[in-house]
Amino acid sequence: MDKITFIGEHLWVGILGNTFVFLSLISALVAAVAYYFYSKEQLTHEWKIFARTAFSIHSISVIGIAATLFYALFNHFYEYSYVWQHSSNSMPMQYIMSCFWEGQEGSFLLWTFWNVVLGNILRRTIDSKWEAPTMAVISLVQVFLASMLLGIVLGDYNLGTNPFILLRENPEFANMPFIQIPTYLVKLDGRGLNPLLMNYWMTIHPPTLFLGFASTLPPFAFALAGLWKRDFISWQKPALTWTFFSIMILGTGILMGGAWAYEALSFGGFWAWDPVENSSLVPWIVMVGAGHVMIINKNKGGSLFMTHLLAIASFLLVLYSTFLTRSGILGESSVHAFTDLGMQGQLVIYVISFIFLCVALLIHDKLIRVSYAMCSILMLAISVLYGYKKIILLGWLGASTGITIFSYIKYFPKEEEEESLYSREFWMFIGSLVLMLSALVITYFTSIPVLNKLFTLNKAPVKIPEYNLWQIPFSIITLTLVAVTQFFKYKKTDPKIVFKQLRFSLLLALVFGLTCSIPLYFLKEYAGAKNLEKWNLISYSLLFIAGLFAVFANAEYAIRVLKGKIRHAGSSIAHIGFALILIGALISTSKKQTISQNTSKKSVEGLGEDFNAKKSLLLTKGDTLPLGKYMVTYKGKERIGIDVFFHMDYFTKNEKGVLVKAFELSPMVQDNPRMGKASNPDTKHFLNNDIYTHITYADLSDDSPKNKDAYKEPTNFVGHMGDTIFSGNAIILIDSITTNLNEEQFSKNDSFLVVTAVLKATDVNGKVYRATPKYILKNSMVMPDQFELSALGLKFIFWKINPTEGSVEIQMSEKVSNAKEFVVLEAYMFPYINVLWLGCLIMITGTLIAIFERRRVNRLKKHTLSGEKNN
Amino acid sequence: MKKLHIVGIIVIAVAIGVIFTSLQSNASYSDFSEASLNPDTEYHVVGKLNKTVPVEYDPKVNADECSFLMTDNKGVEKRVVLHKSVPQDMEKSEQIVLIGKMQAGEFHANEILMKCPSKYNDGKPQIKA
Repeated sequence: MDKITFIGEHLWVGILGNTFVFLSLISALVAAVAYYFYSKEQLTHEWKIFARTAFSIHSISVIGIAATLFYALFNHFYEYSYVWQHSSNSMPMQYIMSCFWEGQEGSFLLWTFWNVVLGNILRRTIDSKWEAPTMAVISLVQVFLASMLLGIVLGDYNLGTNPFILLRENPEFANMPFIQIPTYLVKLDGRGLNPLLMNYWMTIHPPTLFLGFASTLPPFAFALAGLWKRDFISWQKPALTWTFFSIMILGTGILMGGAWAYEALSFGGFWAWDPVENSSLVPWIVMVGAGHVMIINKNKGGSLFMTHLLAIASFLLVLYSTFLTRSGILGESSVHAFTDLGMQGQLVIYVISFIFLCVALLIHDKLIRVSYAMCSILMLAISVLYGYKKIILLGWLGASTGITIFSYIKYFPKEEEEESLYSREFWMFIGSLVLMLSALVITYFTSIPVLNKLFTLNKAPVKIPEYNLWQIPFSIITLTLVAVTQFFKYKKTDPKIVFKQLRFSLLLALVFGLTCSIPLYFLKEYAGAKNLEKWNLISYSLLFIAGLFAVFANAEYAIRVLKGKIRHAGSSIAHIGFALILIGALISTSKKQTISQNTSKKSVEGLGEDFNAKKSLLLTKGDTLPLGKYMVTYKGKERIGIDVFFHMDYFTKNEKGVLVKAFELSPMVQDNPRMGKASNPDTKHFLNNDIYTHITYADLSDDSPKNKDAYKEPTNFVGHMGDTIFSGNAIILIDSITTNLNEEQFSKNDSFLVVTAVLKATDVNGKVYRATPKYILKNSMVMPDQFELSALGLKFIFWKINPTEGSVEIQMSEKVSNAKEFVVLEAYMFPYINVLWLGCLIMITGTLIAIFERRRVNRLKKHTLSGEKNN
Repeated sequence: MKKLHIVGIIVIAVAIGVIFTSLQSNASYSDFSEASLNPDTEYHVVGKLNKTVPVEYDPKVNADECSFLMTDNKGVEKRVVLHKSVPQDMEKSEQIVLIGKMQAGEFHANEILMKCPSKYNDGKPQIKA
């Protein structure tokens, strides 16, 4: 085949982009190696300059990749597959950012970018002692991430996916006929951003979440550096600020995801224990644990193994979550469908490599370290050459765990003195353990598809109630510890004093908690008809009381012990926020009320509680039906582009019993050509509750005036006298039947027979119309005849009599405009969900205060230290 | 370190408890024939919608019920009664996962998860019914 010369392509953009891609990979590799040598020989100034330069080149390259991709997106260079897939001419400019990270390649790029930003900040602020080892780790991570953008195909494996691949070179699209034309670019328009994602959430959520993922890197780098340099303690102080930063950003990213799901997706809640949500929550929980053991270490020493374990685990779990969500392994267990880009192998190797690195650094003994490395390489070789991948992987993981435990026993300094039961460090440590356990349980549940694959099982994914069953007790313990722990001092406190300080908060929590939770969960008239198990009700009440206890105790601590100094109260404020989040989640979920009621009489109670939900409300245009304490009418639909809005009015009764319009909601169904139909809820926010409405079924078709007068296909009804027929706008009674001939006359002369059916149609207003379709038989032939009831837009044909059954058959057709438009909707009331959002804001603020305070104290110490030196 | 040893034992006990209970209670993916053996047990059945027969849904009769034919992975076709409003775009689904019970020859489902062709949705939320 002749080579086609394509016209109008901007090939230099791709060449530039790919140059940056390769440069970023090579410079990261060089930086990693150079920092390694620099860390070996601390004094070599040349290595330092070399390593720093390499990392700077890497940083510039990563920014270069991003800028090039932006340039291509901005100028609509559709010759590039990524640009064609994710942008279009008609797309508003503010969404260019969103298409940048819509695809897999772009989101990896975003992650790499944040790593570079944090890496540079770290390098500039870090103590010179720790620069080399931490930056070596960060550079190594960047090597792996940069290779995700390579896009080299090696046999069955893809080594990364390249954002600068040309449309005509992308195997998925290269065969499209238009690409064979040299001038294909002239008229080409991109496929555009998925309309479902054209909202502000898509602009703010991914960058925050990926900054959160990137923020787990500095603590990881510090912890690995600590293992590597056998200095388990001095890295922790500088790392603590980074850990708090990570807690704040990752937490914000996760909560934003929850808010997005609640506001714009029709899950019917803010958290569904979806694998994708879980896999970002777990690193956060572990990071919170890491932060707390690091505080123990800072104030009292000890807990060395836990600090390393948790700081490392958080990053490894981010990698594992990338594997879960990007490898396609979640399959049918997730609503977030991620396509398998053939990178499963690569992602597994990444996760394994970093586990290997951690374990290898943990081993102090050179002989064991070398033999572990040799064994690992041998196992990898065997699995590549001969298979048995699963058994080898399991064996290797087992061995690595064994070595970890061995190293913990052998190399880590232990406390000689047992911690007192009445000390802060003991309970903080327990709290971190509980968090770790909770993270483990979530990881285990989320990993069921992975376990299925490893052990060839066939387990179904875990359902929401089972997640709650385990997480509620963990939350109760955590909240109690959050309330109690800070009243203990480090080392030892008299428990009597602690109790004395706490008794007021405890009493208040108990009184307030019980007065609320008993009626809410145990009294029939408030608790509603929900038949929850006793165990659930008790655990809900306990969680509520524990949450209140945490709020009161922390408030008291901040006011009484810290004397209201905001600067020191960061942790107390964050704890209050955390407790409020859990209280808000508990109330809004457990007291979530389905206010839409299915009016159908059909009952399926025999199948069990789950089957008898009955929450779909059929609402016809113009009708007014009760919806909780409101009355709701459906006013009609409105199509704006691909979005179809359904306008509804909500009414309340005023003192005089007259309906007054309270508010209006317009839930939307997007008729998305790429994604199919997607339902977007609309929610009315009140201070103490939210009214959430979403459409589950509706006709999206256009009811334009041009075909309003046409009749629809007729429907046949077989009926007896006294039966009724339903049309869209009336109830039709088969009242009577008359003939022009009596039986005697008919037997004499059957050449002309007319049978008239008298139908009485009652419309919605109760007005009665008569319709008299005729059955005409002339010389044994049925003559076609139809009766049009134009007032109601109905047509009747009386076409058959079944004398033996005494029934008649009538065809009825309705005008298109007659069919009353309807929607099927579900509506919920979420009480006190604002407590949750308030908690989010408070927690983030508290963490922010703690970060600033930590920075301030660190800087003060540096000053006094340098001051001492100068003196 | 005695106290921490006790704590360690509790942690391990909880971990074993979680694994054990989840192995016992957690349902497996299954098929229609296995589900018909235990009419009171909930099963997850994977299969494909029979697209030659229309999905029946009449919200005027019951807005919380629709019915269709599904062929499970072993090739057995059964009528399914889904006790929910009809999911949007059902006819476009590639694969369906139903959660429910088999009673009197019909599969009664209370939850449905659909997999739609994923060529164009790299990593974006799909419609959950």
